[in-house]
This record gives sequence, structure tokens and C-alpha cells, in this order.
Amino acid sequence: MAHEFSRRDFMKFLAVGTGTFVLGPTGMLLAADFTAAQDTALPGTFPRSETLIARILTGRVGTPDNFNHWVGWKWQDRGIQNLADEPLWTVDFATGNIVNGSADAEPTYNDDFTSLTVTLRQGVTWSDGEPFTAADVVYTVETIMQWDNFNAHNFFVDNVETVTAVDEYTVQFDLKQANSRFHTTFLDRWGCTRIFPKHIFEQQEDPTLFTFNPYVGCGPYKLHSFDPQGSWTAWEKRADWDKSPTGILYGEPQPRYIIFQYFADEGAQILAQLTHQLDVAELSADGLKALLAQSTSSRAYQPTFPFVVNNDPAITGILFNTAKAPFDNVDVRWALTLAIDIAEYTSIAVDSSGTLSPVHIPHLGPYPADYIEPMQDWLKAFTIEVGDGETFAPYDPTAPQRVADTARSRGYAFPEDESFIAQSFGLGWYKYAPEIAEKLLLKNGFTRDGNNMWLLPDGTPWTISFLAGTVLSNHDARNAAAAVQQWKKFGIDASVYNTENMDGLGAVGDFDVSGAWPAQEPWGAGPDLYRTLDRWNSEYIRPVGERTQGIYSRWSSPEMDDIIKRLRETNPFDTEQVIAIGIEGLQEAVKNMPGIPTYGYIGFVGWDETYWTNWPGSENPYNAPYTHWPNFKYMTPFLRPTGA
Amino acid sequence: MIFVKRYLIPRLIAYFLVIWVGITVVFFIPRLTPNDPVMRMIGEMRARGANLEPGAMDGIISDLTEMYGLEGSWLDQYGAFWSRLVNGDFGVSFFQFPAPVNQLIGNALPWTLGLLLSTTAITWIIGNMVGGIAGYYTRRRWSRAMDAVAMVIRPLPYYIFAFALLLIFAYLVRWFPITGGASLGALPSFTWDYIRNVLWHSFLPAASLIVLGGTVTFQTMKLLVQNVNAESFVQYAKLGGVTEDRIVRKYIIRNAMLPQITGLALSFGQIFSGALITEIVFGYPGLGMLLYRAILNGDYNLIMGITILSIVGITTAILIVDLAYPLFDPRVRYV
Repeated sequence: MAHEFSRRDFMKFLAVGTGTFVLGPTGMLLAADFTAAQDTALPGTFPRSETLIARILTGRVGTPDNFNHWVGWKWQDRGIQNLADEPLWTVDFATGNIVNGSADAEPTYNDDFTSLTVTLRQGVTWSDGEPFTAADVVYTVETIMQWDNFNAHNFFVDNVETVTAVDEYTVQFDLKQANSRFHTTFLDRWGCTRIFPKHIFEQQEDPTLFTFNPYVGCGPYKLHSFDPQGSWTAWEKRADWDKSPTGILYGEPQPRYIIFQYFADEGAQILAQLTHQLDVAELSADGLKALLAQSTSSRAYQPTFPFVVNNDPAITGILFNTAKAPFDNVDVRWALTLAIDIAEYTSIAVDSSGTLSPVHIPHLGPYPADYIEPMQDWLKAFTIEVGDGETFAPYDPTAPQRVADTARSRGYAFPEDESFIAQSFGLGWYKYAPEIAEKLLLKNGFTRDGNNMWLLPDGTPWTISFLAGTVLSNHDARNAAAAVQQWKKFGIDASVYNTENMDGLGAVGDFDVSGAWPAQEPWGAGPDLYRTLDRWNSEYIRPVGERTQGIYSRWSSPEMDDIIKRLRETNPFDTEQVIAIGIEGLQEAVKNMPGIPTYGYIGFVGWDETYWTNWPGSENPYNAPYTHWPNFKYMTPFLRPTGA
Repeated sequence: MIFVKRYLIPRLIAYFLVIWVGITVVFFIPRLTPNDPVMRMIGEMRARGANLEPGAMDGIISDLTEMYGLEGSWLDQYGAFWSRLVNGDFGVSFFQFPAPVNQLIGNALPWTLGLLLSTTAITWIIGNMVGGIAGYYTRRRWSRAMDAVAMVIRPLPYYIFAFALLLIFAYLVRWFPITGGASLGALPSFTWDYIRNVLWHSFLPAASLIVLGGTVTFQTMKLLVQNVNAESFVQYAKLGGVTEDRIVRKYIIRNAMLPQITGLALSFGQIFSGALITEIVFGYPGLGMLLYRAILNGDYNLIMGITILSIVGITTAILIVDLAYPLFDPRVRYV
């Protein structure tokens, strides 16, 4: 006789099922020995004293088992670019030099820049023991040109006629047209075209779908293991590290293992370093303060205020949409510049810890000596037309001292000597001159209403929407907060518009003012400013509504086009000529002020000295200080284990 | 047959209609936002320092559009989407190209299910049991004390509460790990060590969800029981000499449970959206962060994959509750 499944049976079934479901895991958890489990935080595979743990900058790896970074985005800072790969050349912004990695020397161009020769470093092997030769370079370029889906496909198709291996260690490129900066596609500055191993890729039917797992590179570390969820990637020092350019150039890397770990929350990152589970933390300004206040073993890049990493090769600031009125008017752009009290501005933005730059490159590496110092006389003599024949010299060489005084008034202690002030706060900026800003606006038909707020020439209220991202500790948002406060004080109805789509809106010109960088970042090493100036090329400007290809200010000028053309025709290794033309470019940018450079990008790094010391701090900047930069591999031979 | 014709078939039609409408809406909404996946990828690559020469940009845009299958009209894409979907294929992720969406969801889903299924069930059972008893003995001192504790905990912002747990138990007393779903170096395996490791890492995320969620269930159930307890049929039973134990179990708890069962079904359905803040605070893997990142990057296929799971989960849960209601509530009959 079949038993009818009654309501009562159902309820019993439900109760038993739920009980098992709940009590099962709970029982297992209660049975777990927490003390023993805690010891497995670093399973025996990674002895803590031989392991360095750093935070991955770009978040949880979305493609943990795919290392083919030549297609799409593959979280290359998980150790690919910074440990396992060795590019032909790398910029070192700490020293201002370019490191010859797998290349043996800088490239040699012919006279009309239609051909270049690259010599490779001898004695280098891939991490699987195969020799690195010219055949790998030729195969990489030819394969990228053959397959559409490679990121650099279009660039190489547009530029390369032929690439040939002259001998085992010499490669010659013949170009379709003159390009004096062709080699920079191989110059690693947080990204470049890297070489892949021919002996592995030539076995793949479709190299764009190849996962390249395990990764094989010429860097001093090889892949050890990774979390399938993308939380961490572990790298192990190569037994034959002396066959890597890093080993050849700098000696044996010290950490046996290096792990990049994901932290979504800054608080968790701080707790991890306080418990010595994270050697390198990258934080916000407040996060670094909290860490230094709590930890006895952590240090910052600078031992005293302003503590921060202030030699990052990017200039932050304010970007105007010059395709949109009234920001198409240079007088308006200068008025908004002179309405800023930079001492107050940087105290709001970064607690006075920024290094000022009056020009569109940051004050770091070779740039102060090559550009900012030589431009001092020009900056002091530079004037703007205020109206009625009146001129005004906006430059203020005392601005850094004003910033230092503000910082001191807020209780910070630091050396008073001029060199420290110059290194930490820069060489100068612009005057706080609201009265001149007022004259410039009145000259252009702007008026004030009964509440002293500014009206546009057509009599409507002047509102400025400042485009910024949603991470409020990032410098676009910090500049936005400071600028809006300053302009409100001046009588403009300004507000910040925070959006996740900052880049998209910026690219199509749907904004007034943005916290995007006011100029393209320079290389950070060597004197060449082509990378910065070329983004103001009029060829790249697209109408509002379409994605522009140059910088989002959509500004250019015939004078700037001419400067870019002359720089393009100049040998990038002709230092004197490159600097002379570069100065002209910076002067043209200052005259037109398509974006306001404020302070150089600053980073907030916390190093724990419990297990590793000799970090490249400001007192010994032997290398770029970031572990996510490609230069991290060059830091590893200089780190010292404490033996803890 | 009457049940099938009058109730089951209309319910099934509504079920499939809701799923179809939901999927169609989710297909078009991301395309109406200004978040273009091609531009997001270019922007991301530029921001990350990838070598994208300005002069080659038009070619890159064209290649990415083709690679992502975004050529043709929306209607063409809609047709292609359904032809893939009926084969159980969500396509490839744009931002994590060329990883298939199925694989990405498959990696994250066990973590989300493991954490949220267990915490939802535990929260519901404990919250209802304790809330039910406290609601019946509402005048007792311990009941009032529990209510006061719940009143304090419930309004706490989840992030603050979760971080406080982390601070106390991972930093001050160091019983639990600070971040991750498992220890550094621990690779997934069906071993006791690995399972124990995962449970150890899941404890604080689970505790944060159970304690905060449990207070909500506790307070809801307590109020429901108090209301039922005041009903005349309960008073009549008491006057009629029915034993207190029977009144509590048969008269009060069973009636108060009905809305809670509906709530449980909806909670199970919502599991597929993940627990974003939990994943952020505890660095725990799961669907929440996967979906968040997909939305930020305009990763249409991945958004579709995760939200379809959620749509199907919620509608299925509602359908099951609808069909199973007569088993819980003897007053409901479909014939």
C-alpha cells in the first residue's frame, strides 16, 4: 500500500533536512581546532622569513589562470610585469634613467627614422631555460601583426614594414613611415609591448586564445601557484636567476617567494600589516596616518612629513573642456587658476603633502633640472593681458614656502632648509590673485549678481560641474574637492559630480571641468617630452560626442602642432635639442593653460620592516618604490631579510 | 485536474513570462547606460598604462567591437543572445576576455552558495525560534533584554558591524584570519585541512550576516507572535484549557510562521546576487564583487549571466512557495 505524503510528513522532512544542512557545517566548524588552523595562514610552502607579501593594486584577478596579457587586460601587476617579465627597456622614475633590460643598449635609428636596430642582451634565458634571442622578438612582432585581437596589433600594422633578425642578438625594424619614437612601444612604463617566447607560442593554434599558464618570462621570478579565485598569486625565485637581466644587472634577488595578495578593504590591509601579514601596503592619506600611528615596525616613503611617495611620474590637477564655453576662453582658464590659493588648495586636497609644479610635468626625476629650473626666468617674466593694457605676472616662486608654512601651522614638523622645501613642495606655482581673476572675467563680459555670485556673459548663473570618480581618496576627487571649495569662495556655483563613468564622459567631452590629469604623463625618465606633448596634437581631436584620441581637454594650437612636429623630427637621444623643444612645448601649454597642473601624484605606501628592510625610501631612493611597477624586480636584490 | 488547469498552468505561464521579461529588461538596460564596454576596456587599459597609440585607436575600437560580438543592431544581438542562451552559453566576459561567463560564475558560485545558503538558513531558524519564544513570553525580563540587544544591533550599518568583528576577532584576539576565502597557498581540494581552512575563513563573514540578519528575523517573529497571541482564537483556547505547550506550537508559532516562510523563500532567491559588502570587508570570493565589477565595466554578458541566475532563483523560489503553501497552511486549498 502506497503511503500518502502528508503535510505532517512534509514538515518533518523539512525539519530534518534543514537541521542537517545547518548543523553539518556548524559541527564541522566547531570541531575545527582554531589554534592549529591559524598556523596554516602561510602553509609550509611559504616560510614567512623568506616570503615577501605585497598588495595587488588592481584588485582581485578576474582571469587567474590566464597570463596572456597581450590580449585584453590581464592584471599584469599580479607579478607578471613586476617579477616575471623583462622588457627591452624600463623607465626608472626614481633615478630618471632608462634601464636596458633584455636590450643591451638604447636603439639606433637611421637618419630619417625609417629604420632602427636593437641589440639584445646576451646570456639571458627564459625561465624554462631556453635562450632569449632575436628570433623571439621577430616572432612576437610578426605574430601580433598577424592576429587582430592582440592589443598592439594596429600599432604594429600601421608602423612596421618588416622586422628581421640580423643575427642572434640583433633585430632590425624597417618602418612604413618615419617614427623617431617607435622604440617606446617596448619601453616599460607600467605597460609596453613585451616579448613572448617563440618556442611556446609557435605551438599554439590561436595565440590570442592561449592562456600561457604557467607564465614563462625572462624576469628573475617564475610562477609558483595562484588562487583560482584570484585572491593571490605566488612567485618563486628562479634557480637560474643569474640568467635574467635583473640578476645580471643587480645580483641575486633576496625574497625566495613573493606573493601578491588582494585586499578589497583598506582597513583589512592596515590590520594585515599591523599583524605582519603584509609587507607592502598601499593606502589612502588617512590610512597611512592610521598605520603609522599604530605600528612600531612600519615606515613610510619619507621618514618625516610629508611621508608620501612624491616622485610618481604623473601631474595631477584640473582639466578644462576647451571645446565648451566658457572654458574655450583662455582668459577664463587663467581667471580660474588665479582664483586658487594653492596653499589652501593643497591643504584641502592632500593635507599639504603635494609637490607643486607650475608646468604640465611633475617635479621629479630629471624634470626639475632639465625643465622646471631652467624655465624659472621665463616663468617669472611671463605675463598675461588683464585688459586696458594692463599685464600681470602670475608666477609665484614663494608658493612652496606658503605651502610649507601652512603645513607647519597645522602642526607638522620637517626640516626648514631650502633643498628640503624644494624637494617636498616644488619650485613655484601661481599667485593667489582673485582681483586679477575678476578683471579677466569682467573683460570678457562676466558680471556678478546681487549675491556676489558670477553670471555668464549672457546673464545666466555660472555653474561649474567638476567631473570626478567615486573613490574619494583618489587624486581626481581630491583636486575636485579643493577646486570647488576655492571657486565657491570666489563666487562661482561649483559642485563635484562623482561618477563611475568619469573616463567615458571625459573621452566624449560631456563635462565642464574634470579631475583627469591636465596633461599626459611623461615617461618619468630621460628628457624626452614627446609622450606628453603629442597628446595635444590637433590630429587626435574629435568632435564632442565622439571619443577623442588625445587628451580630454581637446585643446591644441598651430604653435603646439609645430612643436610636436619638430620634436618628432628630433633624435630622442639628442638631449640638448629635445630639452630645448620640450621647453617650448611647456611654455605654449602654460600660455594657454588647457588644464591647471597642481601637484605631482603622491602615493601612500607603508612598508613593514619586520621581515624585510632597505626599502627604497626618500633617504635612499635606489629604485622606484612601488611594488606594482615593473621596476619592483630591480628592487628585490637590494632588500635585506631581517631573519625574523 | 482542476488544480492543474486553474492553478498550476497559469502559475507556470506567469513563471516563464516573468523570466522572459526579466531577461529581456536585463539585456537592454546595460545597453541604455553610457557604459560602453569597448570604451571601458580602452579606458581601463589606458589607465593601467597599456600601450595604446592614439593613432591606432579607431582600429582598436573596431577590433574590440568585433571581438565582443557587439556588431549589428541590438535586435541582432538579442537574437544571437537567445540562441546562445538556449544552449546554456552566456558567452565570454568582455572585461575578463576570453574567460567564458559560465566559468567565472562557476568559480564564484560555490563560495556564495556556501556562505549565503548556510547563513540564511541559520539566521532564519535561530531568529524565528528565539523570536517566537521571546514574543510569547514578552513580559519576561530576559525577553525584554533580548529585545533591547536587538534594538541596539539592528540599526548598526553592516560595514561598521562587520569591520568591528574583524577588528576584535582578527586583530585584537587573533582567532580568525583577516582576509580571503582560504589561506595563502591553500589550493582547493576535498581534504579535511582545506575544508577546515575554508570554514575558519568563513566564520567572521558568516557571523556578521547571522547576527545582523538574525536580529531582523528575531524582531519580526517576536512581533508576529505577539499579534497572534492577542487573537481571540488563542484567548479562547487558553480559556478552554488547551495546554500552553500546544497553544504555542500549534496555535501561535504555526500561524506566525507563514509570512516568515515566504520571506525565507525570497531570501534564498536573492542569494544569487551575492553579498557585496561582506565580500569587500572580508576579502571573501563570490558573486557580489563579480557582478559589481561587471556593472562598472559594462560587461554585458557577465551582467546577464549573474542576473539571469538571480531572476530564475527568485521566481523559482516564489513558485515553490506558492505551490507548497497548502503543505504549510492547512487553510489553503487549490481544489
